[in-house]
Amino acid sequence: MTSPILRRDLLGTAAALVGTAATLPAAEAAQISGSLPWSPSEGTPPPVEPTQPYTWEFFTADEAALVGAIADRIIPADDLSIGGKEAGCAVFIDKQLAGNYGKGTNYYLKGPYRPGTPQQGPQTLETFAQRYREGLAALVAFCASKHGGAAFTTLSAADQDALLHEMEAGAFYTGPVTSTAFFNQLIQNVREGYFADPIYGGNKDMAGWKLIGFPGARYDYRDVIGRRGEKLDLEPVGLMGRPGWNPA
Amino acid sequence: MFTFRRIVVAVVCLGFLGVIGAGALYAFNRAYYSSQIAETAAPAPTAGQIARGHYLALAGDCIACHTAPGGQPYAGGLQLNTGFGLVAASNITPDKDTGIGGWTTKQFILAMHRGIGDHGKRLYPAMPYTAYAKVSDADLTDIKAYLDTLPAVHHDVIANQMPFPFNIRLMMVGWNMLFFDLGGQQYKNDPTQTAEWNRGAYLVQGLEHCSTCHTTKNLLGADESGKFLQGTDLAGWWAPDLTSNKRIGLGSWSEDDIVDFLKTGANDRMVAAGPMAEAVHNSTQHLTVPDLHAMAVYLKSLPASDDSAPSPVPANIPAMVAGRAIYAENCAACHALNGTGVPGMAPAFVHSPSVQAQNPENMIRTILAGGHVAATEINPTAASMPPFDWKFTDAQLAAVTTYLRNSFGNAAPAVTADEVAAKRKEIGARATN
Repeated sequence: MTSPILRRDLLGTAAALVGTAATLPAAEAAQISGSLPWSPSEGTPPPVEPTQPYTWEFFTADEAALVGAIADRIIPADDLSIGGKEAGCAVFIDKQLAGNYGKGTNYYLKGPYRPGTPQQGPQTLETFAQRYREGLAALVAFCASKHGGAAFTTLSAADQDALLHEMEAGAFYTGPVTSTAFFNQLIQNVREGYFADPIYGGNKDMAGWKLIGFPGARYDYRDVIGRRGEKLDLEPVGLMGRPGWNPA
Repeated sequence: MFTFRRIVVAVVCLGFLGVIGAGALYAFNRAYYSSQIAETAAPAPTAGQIARGHYLALAGDCIACHTAPGGQPYAGGLQLNTGFGLVAASNITPDKDTGIGGWTTKQFILAMHRGIGDHGKRLYPAMPYTAYAKVSDADLTDIKAYLDTLPAVHHDVIANQMPFPFNIRLMMVGWNMLFFDLGGQQYKNDPTQTAEWNRGAYLVQGLEHCSTCHTTKNLLGADESGKFLQGTDLAGWWAPDLTSNKRIGLGSWSEDDIVDFLKTGANDRMVAAGPMAEAVHNSTQHLTVPDLHAMAVYLKSLPASDDSAPSPVPANIPAMVAGRAIYAENCAACHALNGTGVPGMAPAFVHSPSVQAQNPENMIRTILAGGHVAATEINPTAASMPPFDWKFTDAQLAAVTTYLRNSFGNAAPAVTADEVAAKRKEIGARATN
């Protein structure tokens, strides 16, 4: 049974909306005549790829090591490709948490706050940065309680997997949510780090794209579109290119 | 000591003579001016004359220089960097105090034909009177009649912002003697050519003043003889060769290609961008097709410039291999892998005069900062090319430019990373990410 919307909440919300609308500036549409405006070097370039050695922006050194170890269990190194840690998934997540994603700038984070249904998605005032801070601390504590104070990074792969399975099943709380939510978030973010463009810190040398045969940021397939069923072996191209662009 | 005294006396004497000379020149100049502008009352211009004057003023592209960015049309104020200092274009609206409202038609013709302004003040040839000298009295009379119908704008322009000694306007008397043949300047029909050719020559040499940008200038800023419309650098843009040179000029363009380009801002092979986009937008798109065709006929008749076609850079050198990869993965979506482009929108590179130009600066700056096609009534879309300054290193940009200059039937010297670095700095483009 879903919680009924209370009349006083509705009225309160409506009053808040009216208050907001009154303070909004009147929208003024830009007027363009003649031709579309244009200026040299227009647009905002994508972020600059993090350089090595990387300085952690959000994680502490311990947190970074923990996230790297988790990434290596979610995507382990095998004979097909490198693991999540080497691919830079922790760097990717660190940059995201230090930026707008971590601050939740694209979420509505003002009241009223009340528990929602699963269909309504996360109903928390917590930002993803806070989720990670609390979630990692809770995992450290859970690990210590299970393994006599040992750190996650020192455990065997099998023990790490067992802990992560328990975490997935909701064995502890991370802040206001169960560990299941944080586990799902980790899975999602590690995947993103493994397959996002290398400028965001992960997908080292486009390893993720090479693994699945994704050709990257190419703009034109007209010359190969007729070659159906053929293995094209197109070398992946990142937003900042690929090694083959450098004349040497 | 004695010798020193002699030198001082000589210098003083010479200085004295110089002052007398300058004074005499000044007096002569004023007298000459008065004799030239004396005029009897002219009949009021007809509506037809004013309409013709409007068309001719568009052909002359007066508005391009005589309007400041965001300013009132024809009210002046645009600063032109001549290479010797700044000159601001004057107010040519009919305002009596700050414009040319008080001028007679004869005064106007004198300025347009001889570069002699109000009270005999010498104009700088940044005002292309060397070209306008070709224009007939009748056409100039109509242009003045049209300008007189514009709203008068009170806008005082400090025209002369040159440093010493270039701020001495009388110096232009000497300049004119050296580079501007006084007398008999108006265009004379060549009886051995067709009427259309003559009309084209009249427009190209006169009102359209193509040579202002497309002809190499000598050290004193005058057209270099024997280089007419053979292309030159224009403040960081390459104004291309317009002779019938097949590799780098208009030799491979048909007359209709030229007409399409000037009328719509693009044709099946090329688009107008940069300063030429302004010329097309402000001026040539307004010309009639017969007038544009006449210009094309004349341009196609210009003897090809000297050119020793280089042999193409081998396709297997590292810059060419990298350039091909960069082209295929960044440029080909619009310009096509085989370099055929999108007619009217994205230039084609096959046997391209623009790509093989003596100076590759237009390509370098366009890949760096992007580009914008001329917007015209017929082709109002004005397609844009995105900037790649953030993406390509100097070496990568040099490689793709070298690749284009030596593919699709083109052959031209390779471009170096240093050339790209210099252009990046010159135009204030971004550094690579």
